[in-house]
Amino acid sequence: MKRYVVVWFVLLAIVAVEVVVTLAHPPTGLLLAGLLLLALIEAGLGLLYFMHLKYERRSFMWSVILAVVIAVVLMDHFWLDAFRLLHQRISAP
Amino acid sequence: MAELTAVREPSPFGVTSRKLGIWMFIVADAATFAAMLFAYGYERVANPDWTRPFAFWPTIANGIVMTVVLLTSSLTIIAALLAAQAGRKTSALRWLGATMLLGTLFAALHLREWIAMIGEGWRPFRNPLGGTPLVGATFFSITGLHLLHVITGVVVIGVIALGYRRGRFDAGLLETTGLYWHFVDLVWMFVFPLIYLLNMR
Repeated sequence: MKRYVVVWFVLLAIVAVEVVVTLAHPPTGLLLAGLLLLALIEAGLGLLYFMHLKYERRSFMWSVILAVVIAVVLMDHFWLDAFRLLHQRISAP
Repeated sequence: MAELTAVREPSPFGVTSRKLGIWMFIVADAATFAAMLFAYGYERVANPDWTRPFAFWPTIANGIVMTVVLLTSSLTIIAALLAAQAGRKTSALRWLGATMLLGTLFAALHLREWIAMIGEGWRPFRNPLGGTPLVGATFFSITGLHLLHVITGVVVIGVIALGYRRGRFDAGLLETTGLYWHFVDLVWMFVFPLIYLLNMR
């Protein structure tokens, strides 16, 4: 149980860092990058310890992670269109 | 009998079919939430007049409390699983009850926030601050889907706890339920920074 309590404290600390970083009002792009990085660290800790992926077979762990990563990578194709609209300064309805 | 040998092959991943099933659901559900967050990202980038509606007090403060509550519920469901694996049934049931209580508290805090926003004029397709109405659409759809997962989780944990108390369910089923609950927690680790913190005034 001690190991899980330590992970819980680390997750709470990361949430605190997220809030402090946001309150510092950095540029939006920098804030987004920072928050995404911290969220990914949280997700990694949750997956490995709370969801026990660390203790499953490596083949299982990577099958699960890669399935999500591939899906997320495939969703990235539309960003160019979003930035095109941004540069045209056209609001969506 | 030769044609039956394939049925008896051991699992290539060394996990039960029940655990494999919940992981397949989690992978699919993760892709669903990812798609919704990507759609939100698209709208956010493409709309120059995106509104940042949230003040630190009360919205972000409420979000921090909700995050702590949900993270703590992940810890209590692990305590339930460890107790069940050690054969301490009463303790496991108490921890499951604590998890349900925390899940219910999270849902109550979330609904209170929704009611306050609706009172201010926010709707899925209406922005009372004058910017794009997509702010409300993305907020209510993403947090709504997550809230639905939390409420479903609380009900499922209740059903599993009842079955476990009566001896119908074993510790393995508690682990499967715990995986779902941790996933709901994990999704919030993305929703809170991207939907709340990134939209702070």
